[in-house]
Amino acid sequence: MKKIFAIAKKELKAYFKSPIAYIVLIVTISVFNIFFFLIIDGDREADLRDVFKCMEFLFIFIVPLLTMKIFAEEKLSGTMEFLMTTPTTNTAIVLGKYLGSLVFFTIIIGITSSYYFIIEFFGQPDRLTILAGYLGIWLEGALFIAIGILISSWTKNQIVAAISSYTVLFLLYFSIGFIKYFSGWAEIVIRYIAIWSHTGNLTAGIITTADLVYYISGIFVCIVFTRLSIENRLWR
Amino acid sequence: MIVAKSVTKYFGELQALKNVSFEINKGEIVGFLGQNGAGKTTIMRILTSYLPPTSGQVFIGGQEVSKNSLTVRKKIGYLPETPPLYSDMTVRDYLKFAARLKDVPAKQQCVQIDKVLEECRLKGVQHKIISILSKGYKQRVGIAQAIINNPEILILDEPTIGLDPTQIIQVRGLIKSLEYERTVILSTHILSEIQQIAHRVLIIKAGEVVVDKTLKDLLKEFNSDLEDIFLKLHLAKENQEQ
Ligand SMILES: Nc1ncnc2c1ncn2[C@@H]1O[C@H](COP(=O)(O)OP(=O)(O)OP(=O)(O)O)[C@@H](O)[C@H]1O
Ligand SMILES: [Mg+2]
Repeated sequence: MKKIFAIAKKELKAYFKSPIAYIVLIVTISVFNIFFFLIIDGDREADLRDVFKCMEFLFIFIVPLLTMKIFAEEKLSGTMEFLMTTPTTNTAIVLGKYLGSLVFFTIIIGITSSYYFIIEFFGQPDRLTILAGYLGIWLEGALFIAIGILISSWTKNQIVAAISSYTVLFLLYFSIGFIKYFSGWAEIVIRYIAIWSHTGNLTAGIITTADLVYYISGIFVCIVFTRLSIENRLWR
Repeated sequence: MIVAKSVTKYFGELQALKNVSFEINKGEIVGFLGQNGAGKTTIMRILTSYLPPTSGQVFIGGQEVSKNSLTVRKKIGYLPETPPLYSDMTVRDYLKFAARLKDVPAKQQCVQIDKVLEECRLKGVQHKIISILSKGYKQRVGIAQAIINNPEILILDEPTIGLDPTQIIQVRGLIKSLEYERTVILSTHILSEIQQIAHRVLIIKAGEVVVDKTLKDLLKEFNSDLEDIFLKLHLAKENQEQ
C-alpha cells in the first residue's frame, strides 16, 4: 500500500516536471474558456451539459498524451528492470501508476470546476445534475486513462503508444456511428462498448447502475490486463 | 547461499545459457568473466528474478527464486548493466524512492540515504537532477541505489564501467569492505579488477561455464596471470572451431 503511494507520488511529480503536462493544462483551460464563452454568449442557459460534451471530446485528445509514457518510458530507459527487481508486486506498480495519472487528471478537472461557480453566480443550476455530470466525466476520463496505460504497457515507444491510444479511443467514441452496418449480437456488443451509449445519461445528470458497471468494469479489466502485460516476459 | 541448477535460457531460437550450474557461498566475492554476448547479464537477470529461466532452478537462501521472488528480492541489491535512473529526479529523491520500494523503514531512510551518499561520494550532487550528471556519477547513483537497503547479496553488472581511476579504486574498496558480510557477484571486462577483489572466477563462454575455480587455484594451475588464461581459453576454443 505504501509503495502504491510512493509510485503514484513519483508519477505525479514527473507530470509537473514535463512540458506535456503543462501543455495539456493550458489547452484544457483555453478550450474551456472558449466553449464556455460561446455557450454563455449564445443562449445564457445555465447548463453544463454542452460543456461536458466538449470535455469528453477533449479527453480523447489529452489522455493519450498523459498516458503514453507511463510504461513505455520505463521500458526504454531500463528503469523497468529496477522497478521489477525491487520487492514490489506488479499489482502495486500498476495501481501506483494508475493512481498517479488519475490524480493529475482529477487536478485538471478540478480546475474546470471554477466554471460551476460562475454558473452558480449567473443562474440557478441544478446542483445534483451537475455533480452527476462531473462524476460521469471523471469516470470516463478514468476509463480512458486505464486504456492508455494498458496500451503504454505494450510498447517501448511513446509515439506508438500515443497513436494506438488515439485509435482505440476514437473507435470507442465513434463506433456508435457505424452501428447501422451491424445487426444481431454485433450490434448489441457495439452499442454496449461504445462510450456514446453511456455518457448521454451521465452528462444529463442521470446515474444508472448499468453505466457505472460499464466504466468500473472497463477500468478493472484494463488494470488486470496491464498487470498481465508487464508480467509477460517477451519484451525483456 | 546462491545455487543455480542446470539453468538454461532461450531467447527464441538462440540459446543464451546452456546448463549453467554453480554454487556461491555466503561472504564470497565472485567475478563473472566472458566476452561480449557470453551471457553474464542474462545469468544476473535470472538471479534477480527479472527473467525466468527456460529450465533449471535458482535457489537463494534456500528459496527458489521464481516461486518466492518477493522475499528473495528483498535480499538482493542489483545494479543492472545500464544504471536504471529516472532522469528527471534529483539524486536524493531517486534514492528516497528506491529506499521506499526496497522496504527501508521510514525512520531509517534519511540516515541510510546519507550513508550511501557518503559511500558513493555523491554528497555534492545530491540535489542535482540526474539527467545533467556525467556518466561516472550516474554509475555511482546506480551503485548507491543497489546498496540502499543493506542487501545480503549484491549483484553488480559491470560496476566500474565509466568511472575514473580514482573512483574505480574507490568502488573496488567499497566492494572489498563489504566482504564477509555480503555475497557479491560482479561482472567485468577488466581482468585485473577480478584479480584484485574476487575470490573466485566463473568464466562464461557462449552461455557455458567453462571455468569455475578460486582465483588461487586458477593462477596456480595455469601458472600465469588471468589475462593469459582468458585469452588462452578463448583463442584455443576458437581455433578448435575453425
Ligand atoms: N531480450 C533478449 N532477446 C533476445 N536475445 C537476447 C536478449 N537478451 C540477451 N540476448 C542475447 O543473449 C546473449 C547473451 O547476452 P548477455 O547480455 O547476457 O551477454 P553479456 O555476457 O552480458 O555481454 P556483454 O559483455 O556485452 O554485456 C547475447 O547473444 C544476446 O544477444
Ligand atoms: Mg552484459
